[in-house]
Amino acid sequence: MRAAQALVPLALAAALAVYVLAPGPGLEPPGLVVLPEITIEQVEFADGEIRASVRNTGHVDVSIAQADVNDRIQPSAAEPGSRLGRLAQATVRIPYEWNAGEPYEIGITLDDGTRFARAVEAAVPAITADAQTLSYLVAVGACVGVVPVAIGLAWRPAIARLRSGARAAVLAFAMGLLAFVAADTMRESLEVSAEWGLDSAYNGTLMAVTAAALVFLAMQWASAAMRRAGAQAPVAIAVLVAAGIGMHNLGEGLAIGAAAALGQAAFASTLVVGLALHNVTEGLAIAAPVARSRVGLAGLAGLAALAGLPVMAGTAAGALAFSPAAAAVLLAAAAGAVVQVIASMASWMRSEGISLSGAPVLAGAGAGMATLYAVSVLA
Amino acid sequence: MKTVTRPVAMAACVAAVAAMGAVLLVPQAATEPEERAFVTHSGAVVRTTGEILDPLYTASDVEFDPMEYLREFHGGRVSALPDGRTLREFTIIAEDDRVMEISPGVFYNVWTYNGTVPGPTIRATEGDIVRVRFINNGDKDHTIHFHGIHPAGMDGVFEPVGRGGGEFTYEFEAAPVGVHPYHCHIMPLEEHIVHGLYGAFIVDPAEPREEADEMVMVLNGFDTDFDSENNFYAANTVPFYYQHHPIEIGLGELIRIYVLNMVEFDPINNFHLHGNLYDYYPTGTQRVPSAYTDMITLSQTERGIMEFRYDYPGPYMFHAHKVEFSEKGWSGIFLVSDGQ
Repeated sequence: MRAAQALVPLALAAALAVYVLAPGPGLEPPGLVVLPEITIEQVEFADGEIRASVRNTGHVDVSIAQADVNDRIQPSAAEPGSRLGRLAQATVRIPYEWNAGEPYEIGITLDDGTRFARAVEAAVPAITADAQTLSYLVAVGACVGVVPVAIGLAWRPAIARLRSGARAAVLAFAMGLLAFVAADTMRESLEVSAEWGLDSAYNGTLMAVTAAALVFLAMQWASAAMRRAGAQAPVAIAVLVAAGIGMHNLGEGLAIGAAAALGQAAFASTLVVGLALHNVTEGLAIAAPVARSRVGLAGLAGLAALAGLPVMAGTAAGALAFSPAAAAVLLAAAAGAVVQVIASMASWMRSEGISLSGAPVLAGAGAGMATLYAVSVLA
Repeated sequence: MKTVTRPVAMAACVAAVAAMGAVLLVPQAATEPEERAFVTHSGAVVRTTGEILDPLYTASDVEFDPMEYLREFHGGRVSALPDGRTLREFTIIAEDDRVMEISPGVFYNVWTYNGTVPGPTIRATEGDIVRVRFINNGDKDHTIHFHGIHPAGMDGVFEPVGRGGGEFTYEFEAAPVGVHPYHCHIMPLEEHIVHGLYGAFIVDPAEPREEADEMVMVLNGFDTDFDSENNFYAANTVPFYYQHHPIEIGLGELIRIYVLNMVEFDPINNFHLHGNLYDYYPTGTQRVPSAYTDMITLSQTERGIMEFRYDYPGPYMFHAHKVEFSEKGWSGIFLVSDGQ
């Protein structure tokens, strides 16, 4: 009976929703004009054909009326169909003998005559899941992910010999790095939302905040679970750091893959260099907590894999099936994970008797942020 | 033998009902989508299970028939005045609430004279008295401004005709000989023109021109997303219309086209004819052609008369040689028939 009482407000709220949404109550403002909105999420250059992935990111149903290439009308086909409900997606196939390396603008005109367009800097053949692509993904995954992290982990013996003040500074340096990563990842999530028009369809900014908060809570639970299972605090921290960085690297991989698929080759290689440098310092962040713990080579390799391998998965997903919404959520989730890692590190350091307001920690954290900022500008 | 217990039987029934429901509710998933084919610019045939978006090669029903408009001339209600001159009376009604499918699947609010863009082609002989009863059934003020020779009070500029049924009668002597535009002259002028308030006005010489297959081509464009650039171009409103509905003409027959450029936003338009050249009479005011050419350039409201005959049968393109315009709809085909 008590449970049934709890359902009463729900039932009333549902009734109100039905009333508001039903035709006729006159709750729409007079003269309401709802403009259609679509996003061209991906442009692929296949053999003799350009394929545009179109999503209805507005608030009304739309019909795709025609496609154009460089503002010149072309015959095309919309699959599965031209009518798109909210958030529905269609692939517009435009037979076209495109020239590799040249820029193109793909336009989609809706039934009300509005034209939406997406520019591609240089046409490159669509990436397919063949041996060449796989070797590219493996190479990028290794160069950007696992190897730099492993290089960073090589600081571990040096950190182990440090006196307590210097060790506190190194741990704080790792926290500074992570703080930068969290901020950077969140910014990227918001950028993806803005660039791909996710704000109107998915409420992009709050989607990012929500994803970050949920992952923060999940990581909090995971860290408590690891401790209950008997994991040493430093090892648990290192695993969390590696997992957080792994999520961040998954997002970065998406960016690299998407840039490669969109023909932004120069941008993609810049991302590769930047992320590789970035990951060397992140290896340090993983090494710092476990510097004095007994972790075997296999354990270290596992941490490097956890942090580095997701680059490969991200690059593959970004190149083969880039989804702006998935990328925005992943990047925001990574930010939430990294923030949780910082919080865990802080409480662990306090339990180790390190003063969080002491000079070594403050200087180390500042240096960490500044280092990654410098890397982001220079690389 | 093991007996079937009641819970097991219940579960089996529920599962069966659920399976039937699933089959009934998602029949689309079970049926194989139908395949269709379309032809690309280069002639390749592409197959799709989706919907074809093809304003170029797919014939489609539009509310306005460019083929009918092409050869439709309105001489008005004809009567004789006491002084022996001919009176031609027309009624033109302006509206601004129509939505027209100007290209397959693209809907646009057109402002119309007598329900179409372009408005009716008005035709008189020099010296006739033209009397146009103009009724404005729109929601905005409109007028008709004729190009040509007439008194200031008949110019359709300083006499806005009120919305919701306002009336004005334009009356003047048809002059000079040639082809002229008429259009609304209410500010903001560009808006009133590009929405479709224009048409052709032909004044024939008293001594008739040679018998010919005569046509009107109003070159126009539509800015359907209001960014001051045309999204579509056409001869007679519907993009690519005469490309998928070729204009049939006779071998050796004299063809006369009254061509009028009403494209806004772009400074020029042009007209290129394939496999032939034409005599061109700018504005149609002189009986001597200014050029024998296959290419003329027209600025806003520039117009003239083209005359040509084909010596060989077959399909011949005509289009803007400003290729952007032709690739956005301003292209067509003459199909020259030798009667075979």
